[in-house]
Amino acid sequence: MTSLAVARRRAEPVPELGSLFERVRQRLPGREVETLARIRETAFARFLELGIPTQKAEEWKFSPVLRVINRPMALARRPDLPLAELSRWFAGGTSARRLVFANGHPLPELSHLGGLPEGVRITSLSRAIAEMPGRVAEVLAGLDDGRSFTFLNTALTECGALIEVADGVEVEAPLQLLFLSAGEASATMTHPRLYLRLGEKASLHLLEVHAAAVPGPVLTNLVFQIDLGAGARLVREKLQLGDEATSFLGRTVMRLETGARLLDNVATLGGGFVRNESELVLDGPGIEALLNGVYMPRGHEHVDTLIRVHHRAPRCHSNQFYKGVIEDKAHAAFAGKIIVHRDAQKTDAYQANNNLLVSDEAEVDTKPELEIYADDVRCSHGATVGDIDAQALFYLRSRGLPKEAAESLLVYAYAGEVLERFRDPVLVGLARQAVLERVPGGEMLEAEGLV
Amino acid sequence: MASTIDTVQEYVARDYRFGFVTEVEEELVPPGLNEDIIRLISQKKGEPEWLTEWRLAAYRRWLTMEMPDWQKPKFPPIDFQAISYFAAPRQKERPKSLDEIDPEIRRTYEKLGIPIREQEILAGVAVDYVFDSVSVATTFRKKLNELGIIFCSISEAVRDHPDLVRKYLGSVVPPGDNFFAALNSAVFSDGSFVYVPKGVRCPMELSTYFRINAAGTGQFERTLIIADEGSYVSYLEGCTAPMRDEHQLHAAVVELVALDEAEIKYSTVQNWYPGDREGRGGIYNFVTKRGICRGRRSKISWTQVETGSAITWKYPSCILQGDESVGEFYSVALTNHFQQADTGTKMIHIGRNTRSRIVSKGIAAGRSDNTYRGLVRIQRSAEGARNYTQCDSLLIGDRCGAHTVPYIEVKNRSAKAEHEATTSKISDDQLFYCRSRGISEEDAVALIVNGFCREVMDELPMEFAVEARKLLGISLEGSVG
Repeated sequence: MTSLAVARRRAEPVPELGSLFERVRQRLPGREVETLARIRETAFARFLELGIPTQKAEEWKFSPVLRVINRPMALARRPDLPLAELSRWFAGGTSARRLVFANGHPLPELSHLGGLPEGVRITSLSRAIAEMPGRVAEVLAGLDDGRSFTFLNTALTECGALIEVADGVEVEAPLQLLFLSAGEASATMTHPRLYLRLGEKASLHLLEVHAAAVPGPVLTNLVFQIDLGAGARLVREKLQLGDEATSFLGRTVMRLETGARLLDNVATLGGGFVRNESELVLDGPGIEALLNGVYMPRGHEHVDTLIRVHHRAPRCHSNQFYKGVIEDKAHAAFAGKIIVHRDAQKTDAYQANNNLLVSDEAEVDTKPELEIYADDVRCSHGATVGDIDAQALFYLRSRGLPKEAAESLLVYAYAGEVLERFRDPVLVGLARQAVLERVPGGEMLEAEGLV
Repeated sequence: MASTIDTVQEYVARDYRFGFVTEVEEELVPPGLNEDIIRLISQKKGEPEWLTEWRLAAYRRWLTMEMPDWQKPKFPPIDFQAISYFAAPRQKERPKSLDEIDPEIRRTYEKLGIPIREQEILAGVAVDYVFDSVSVATTFRKKLNELGIIFCSISEAVRDHPDLVRKYLGSVVPPGDNFFAALNSAVFSDGSFVYVPKGVRCPMELSTYFRINAAGTGQFERTLIIADEGSYVSYLEGCTAPMRDEHQLHAAVVELVALDEAEIKYSTVQNWYPGDREGRGGIYNFVTKRGICRGRRSKISWTQVETGSAITWKYPSCILQGDESVGEFYSVALTNHFQQADTGTKMIHIGRNTRSRIVSKGIAAGRSDNTYRGLVRIQRSAEGARNYTQCDSLLIGDRCGAHTVPYIEVKNRSAKAEHEATTSKISDDQLFYCRSRGISEEDAVALIVNGFCREVMDELPMEFAVEARKLLGISLEGSVG
């Protein structure tokens, strides 16, 4: 059997999407710029060539992505949304700057970027294409990670942003990227592309909120490329509040230089099919990368987290802390991998994935992985799957709490442990509310004043 | 610290001591694999029609299968037509008593440190000696027979106990299970067969010693152990091979069946020739080992010490079907030079209140790669199932790799699965502590490495534990008494 045949089993061709590019290419921004058009064309060819990964592909073992992508889909249009109601997803407080997208299209009415310090440049992708196509071509072509969905994004992206912070600039005010989806009668998709560069010793607090403004089948295929210069500091907090009809494929590719620091928090509290991929390359000594996450799928939701942390340089520290509560018939998957390359001595890497199954029909698959090629390292991981701790339950009941309330409280606290590591109080408030809605008996906790 | 590494390296760099070739006249079937060869093997062994057909069906299945490529060890394609699938020392018929064994073969086992005769008298371990493709001797049969225990080569079992063989052969590892299991089902030559009747506790360790001798061959043995209700058996397996520049394939299948309240303890000390310092030659050890706890409260325990083979690629597994059944896996895998290991286990929880425990210790030195790959699957039906997994890796030197790839799949909320893994080197603090207590550096390393493997070594039967310690040898010549 040839390797081609094996490769074929691990990926499916994409009949439904095959003709899409031809149909839409004349509408895509930058079509008149030859380099961009060529990049898109090549990317789409690569996408077709790679196909859509099946569950035979190791990284997609637990996630049947064909289900959400191999169907007729048009590019999502800019919806007409009741603007006044959208502020409930605003985070970051009054000082926050904000870029709002609806089905990937910018909503300048709600966006607010004024008064940013000098050295901060935030450009929407469509404007960037018009004003500096060369730079956009660089960004789009600069990411060749061999992933079908990255190529699909490169081929079809219409919107997104380029964010560049100059050396030494510390941005005080949080920057929120708010992505709203609005479903239509038939399935649509959107391919936002984000690029962030923090210069040396620059810092930024980034809030990324995804919410379903109008329920319905929208597939978001987001690619986010992040470069952190030496000594840069980034706090990135991502909140996902989709509904059961939405699908989300998000890939973050991050490169960190000497002494950079990253705090990456993710709360996945809604979405029919969610896949969050993070690939981090620690490319200089003394980097710190902390990754925290919580996911609480319910109903028929599916949440899959894939993390790769490449330790390429000595004396870096990375820590992954992910917790999940899986309800109803939901399915969660977690695959985290720490790769310590040959010369990354004195690496200190940790990874924990804890899961709570609170329904008889829920399922969790976890795969914490270590790949280590240096000897003077401290690496460990732990993974657990279980039900609510019987002793903790007993303790609360012995204090007079009814069983249901005690269980709800424990589940809430379980998920809440991750939220304690979040920074932005407004975002945490939104997340807590979503957690409470998801905890069985959560409304009772609120009514009783237990939380 | 440099000297520590040196000491450890020195041990692990020691040459393979079992690399000699026995000059014995062997009968080889010509290299190649086709239906005629399979019929020939089956005919040579005087097998009944059903088994010949079973082999052929497996062969036809194998032809449709592809070599897997998900494993970490990479190796050049194997030419299956270049292998001779049957090699047997020429002897008129199977010796009736130990005295009739070819003296050359007897000397082989003496050189390996397991003199056939002495073993019988002193150690009280019943041994089945498998030399290339056939079993050459089985000791202690009479005594075992009195208890109703059947311990013989699988060829004899096919002849004398066809019902048992037919009922259980392929019941745990079906012929189409995987590429190498299909190959084995088609061409398996010999191996051991054990049946322990109801309520019998086997009074001695049963053991098989596998030896690859002939060049240009592979070894494809098949072991089948059945523990009937309430019985107990402890089984040991050892293996060596001569030093050669070619890679030789060892693709065995081991099937264990434990019925109600039965217990099987299966221990392996694997010391196939690992290849030389440049990675030339050595055995490809691609083995399918699986046990099923079919009965309630049954137990299967795998213990393995893997020091040999150019590539070790195997996952001794337990299917925990009976309620309250228990599966255990204890493993030490040491790789050095260019050796590669990709080993671990699968625990499939099906019955209620099933429990499993996995303890894996990987030690990588030289330019080797050592991978733990394991699956814990708790099915919807496995109410109250419990798993604990611990995998630790120790790296010696900065050119080797240690990897951990655990899969945990849980579909039952009342189940509990825990996994922890660490990777480290011998810490300067531990060494310093020992040194400050007057322990020499060499002894300190031995102490620490032995401590690192202790949980696994403690699971081995005594005779094997001694051999295993020697092999791991971080015992460093006389430093551990």
